Amino acid sequence: MSYERTIWEKIADNLRSRSMWMLHYCTGCGAVELPPSMTSRFDMERLGMGPMATPRQADIFLITGYLSVKTLRRVIYTYEQMPDPKYVVGFGSCTINGGIYYDSYATINRVDYYIPVDLYIAGCMPRPEAIFEAFTELMRMIRKGEAIGWKKYKENYEWYKQNQLKSLGEVYVHDEFHE
Amino acid sequence: MMNSMNDLLEELKKLFGNFEVQEIDEREVKIDVESDKVVGILTTLKSKGYSHLSLLTCVDWINENKFELIYILYSWQNGCKFIVATWIERKNPKFVTVMNLWPVARFYEREIHEFFGVEFEGNDDMKPLILELWDDIPPLRKDFDPLEYSKKKFPGRQYDKDVIQEALIFRGDKNG
Repeated sequence: MSYERTIWEKIADNLRSRSMWMLHYCTGCGAVELPPSMTSRFDMERLGMGPMATPRQADIFLITGYLSVKTLRRVIYTYEQMPDPKYVVGFGSCTINGGIYYDSYATINRVDYYIPVDLYIAGCMPRPEAIFEAFTELMRMIRKGEAIGWKKYKENYEWYKQNQLKSLGEVYVHDEFHE
Repeated sequence: MMNSMNDLLEELKKLFGNFEVQEIDEREVKIDVESDKVVGILTTLKSKGYSHLSLLTCVDWINENKFELIYILYSWQNGCKFIVATWIERKNPKFVTVMNLWPVARFYEREIHEFFGVEFEGNDDMKPLILELWDDIPPLRKDFDPLEYSKKKFPGRQYDKDVIQEALIFRGDKNG
């Protein structure tokens, strides 16, 4: 698959980068940095971003912190529900290499092995300034057509699925309280 | 130790024979009892006002080759805590359930079964509580190596060593 864009896609990407809805799915401790980013002190809305409650209307998926094996199943569900184009931001060192949970039996070590990640924010936890740096960078990447994780996921779907199955055994969620 | 706790201890000793007592706090005392007396002691304590099972947990003492089961009972009348501990064999660990005293024990026992592999006789519900599709020995046992499991199951990131970069940071030219 080539990542060349038509002129219309370029225009669309330009517009997309200025109106992004962020899925409000907080997976780890990094979620505490989001309320100050969203509310008046740092004010996320001046970038045209806002929180979104459901994956079906969201553009950005933030993985905020460590992912346990259980959460990863839900994250894969959620990611696959999101409509294209979708962008994933890995948040904090846990998503990069496991962070302080590198030797945990219950948390995974790197997220881009299971779903494509467009951008990582290093830190434990990154401050809102770092988050804004990352969001402006993500907007630049979208305008330049560099944020192509969702295309890569389609292209390398078998590879991602195989990794997911290798670590999770089964992606399907069983839940005794709801079955 | 509060007077009421002292009296209760004397009464327990009269009923169940001597056991080791360790005072932790003015309102907290730990007793080490033999495993066949646990249910009797818990029943007595419950009838004396220690009616709240705050916690049921387990400790793996791998050198002694034993598991320690710990029941923490709380009294809402005087705010005192009784910690009842008992030792069971680490190999083929089995104990009786206290589900008939405290229905909530069902979930504590499920958790201990999942994380230590202790069977509770009388508790018919031994499904895993927290982990999904676990495929190794119970993870909170001391002979379980989480790092090895993590390496086997969840691939990490490989880093190349960059000597020049490190030297620059070391010399203070760059902020590491």
